[in-house]
Amino acid sequence: MTEYRGEIHRRQKELMQRWYARLDESARTGWPPAICLMISGNCVELLEAFGIVPIYPEVNALQLAIRHQSLEPILAAEELGYATDNCAYVKADIGAYLMGVTPSGGRLPRPALVLCNFVGCNTYLKWFEHVAAFMDAPLYVLDIPFLRREEPSPDDVAYVVAQLKEVVQRIETITGLRFDPDRFRDAVRCSQRVEELWSRIKHLARREPSPFDAYFDAITLMGPLYVYRATPEGVAFFERALAELEAKAARGEGVYDREHFRVVVEGPPPYPYFRAFRDMFARWRATVVASTYSTVGGIWEFGFRHDPDRPFESVALHMLAHNLTNRNYLQRYDQIRRYVREWNADGVIIHFVKSCRLFSAGQGDMRDYLTKVLGVPTLYIESDLEDPRYFAEAQIRNRVDAFFEALERHKSAAQRMITV
Amino acid sequence: MRFAAGVDVGSTQTKAVILAEDGGQSGHPARSSDHVGTPPESPRIVARAVVDTGAHVSRAAEQAFHAACREAGLDPREIGLVVGTGYGRYKIAFGHAQVTEISCHARGAHFVFPETRTVIDIGGQDAKVIRVGPEGEVRDFVMNDKCAAGTGRFLANAAEVLGLRLEEIGPLSLQATDPVKLTTVCTVFVESDILSYLAQGRRPEDILRGVHLAIARRTVSLARRIPIEPAITFTGGVARNVGMVRALEEVLGLSIHVSPESHFMGALGAALFALDRLKRRAEAGAAPEERGWQ
Repeated sequence: MTEYRGEIHRRQKELMQRWYARLDESARTGWPPAICLMISGNCVELLEAFGIVPIYPEVNALQLAIRHQSLEPILAAEELGYATDNCAYVKADIGAYLMGVTPSGGRLPRPALVLCNFVGCNTYLKWFEHVAAFMDAPLYVLDIPFLRREEPSPDDVAYVVAQLKEVVQRIETITGLRFDPDRFRDAVRCSQRVEELWSRIKHLARREPSPFDAYFDAITLMGPLYVYRATPEGVAFFERALAELEAKAARGEGVYDREHFRVVVEGPPPYPYFRAFRDMFARWRATVVASTYSTVGGIWEFGFRHDPDRPFESVALHMLAHNLTNRNYLQRYDQIRRYVREWNADGVIIHFVKSCRLFSAGQGDMRDYLTKVLGVPTLYIESDLEDPRYFAEAQIRNRVDAFFEALERHKSAAQRMITV
Repeated sequence: MRFAAGVDVGSTQTKAVILAEDGGQSGHPARSSDHVGTPPESPRIVARAVVDTGAHVSRAAEQAFHAACREAGLDPREIGLVVGTGYGRYKIAFGHAQVTEISCHARGAHFVFPETRTVIDIGGQDAKVIRVGPEGEVRDFVMNDKCAAGTGRFLANAAEVLGLRLEEIGPLSLQATDPVKLTTVCTVFVESDILSYLAQGRRPEDILRGVHLAIARRTVSLARRIPIEPAITFTGGVARNVGMVRALEEVLGLSIHVSPESHFMGALGAALFALDRLKRRAEAGAAPEERGWQ
């Protein structure tokens, strides 16, 4: 595998370190204020308009897992009474808070506000209630109606916009900062530009070979996407990322010397075994050309953009309709169907997350839809995104190997038909 | 004469099969039932061996392979190519390639019963159902998750609680008149379940029939996910248990193929893949493979 290590990797590290440094500074000095947000359909633009730094508990949890530090906090939370099948992100986050552990080693500030942007994942409601209780911080829940039809209704949008405006007032009262509409528009403009760049990056994966892996490499880009999307640094980062990957595509370079398989992945990665999991794909020179996980924060590859001319409405639309978790099953099916067809994939791998009942429920039916209705070879594997106890490497490798062996025969049979 | 070997390092036992292409002595007499396959004349199985895997996976693989060579009267250097399969496949130091047991069981089952479209494989620690194409290729598969519920280990625990040998429980289960309804397929909790039935005075054969039916129901519900298409071939160590064969047939409402080779199906499939490679290499006029066991 020619794992891509470009300038963007250095810059990504720098940006994320700077974010943690700001959080540490906020913890030490009380400035800038920090607000807790959820990744899914996050409204980071609103925070940026105030110069407030976001705290993302999910990012902290996954950073602990990828550094093999998630089990102790999970056990600490279980000792407190959290059940074994509770979301492991929640347990790692709460446990780490109780233990005083952070992924960066720096401190995390007490949030000025715990802002629960509830978009489909009802675990968020309880998670942020607990965060607010433990940290003794005020809680505001943005109630985002689930997307019941193709598009949200005007009432849905008005309902969310009214809440966003109320949040603005609440932030003003808590922090003493004044909301600046121009700064908000600038933030939304930055997001619009980043989304365009990110979308173009994702469409590069339609090339054969794809210049990057839209699951394992995409994760590198997702940190800046959520923390810096509404900033000029974010724009500069994604301009650089697009330029580097376009250059790679122009040279005809793929993730591997010779790309052999193209697959779509549904579900987050098993972060505690991120490297081992990636190696299972690399052994077969299988590039992930599209992934649903990389759309948790927002789905932009199908055209949605924030709009500086309608800043509040577009933030509302993003939360209502253009992120993975607020969409219904049929829309999730359709997203995968489009990836398989438009990104020209050989098969789909579904990673069922044991501690995520909400989004893993129904994946058996999803597999049936893909295999029986669309005729797309689909593998279903189970572990967890955060809890290392659920990952059985030999068993998962066995299934992944068998899946690619079957695809290999499928492919050579198709090849024989073409040559005959 | 061309020889190839397959070594299947399973969680409980390690199996080896040697195949000879063209001629050679037949290694196995075929049984006469309708659902017992006769492996074709060529390539033919010239030897097979089985050893307990234990803690030393590489050593078990070597022992099984050498035992098979001895049975065939062959020097290991006469084996053109070895393919490893099973959980320990990457630990076979002398193997030339690895293929998962999913592909190998499909291939082996198709070799013995070419009409096979579904393979049910129950081993020591897992159960899988494989949908097979007309050429023995894997079309789809489902497996139990990482818990050993409803596998060979479950049967072994049941036998132990009842103080019976593993090979006794299948035939005994067929003598049941009033099978118990087992509430669990959990390999751990089955012990307390059985003890409570014994305390109620239930007969061991009725308990065992309940044990076999519980596994069969679980396996069939797994199979229905892909879905089941006849002919069905039952492979893996548990296929030697006649009680399990009958229980599966009862739950499926279909008869199933079982070969005397069922325990060796993974190793047989691996040996067939080895033979393929050997033939491809011969056709390409390439030099023989470096052998790792010398």
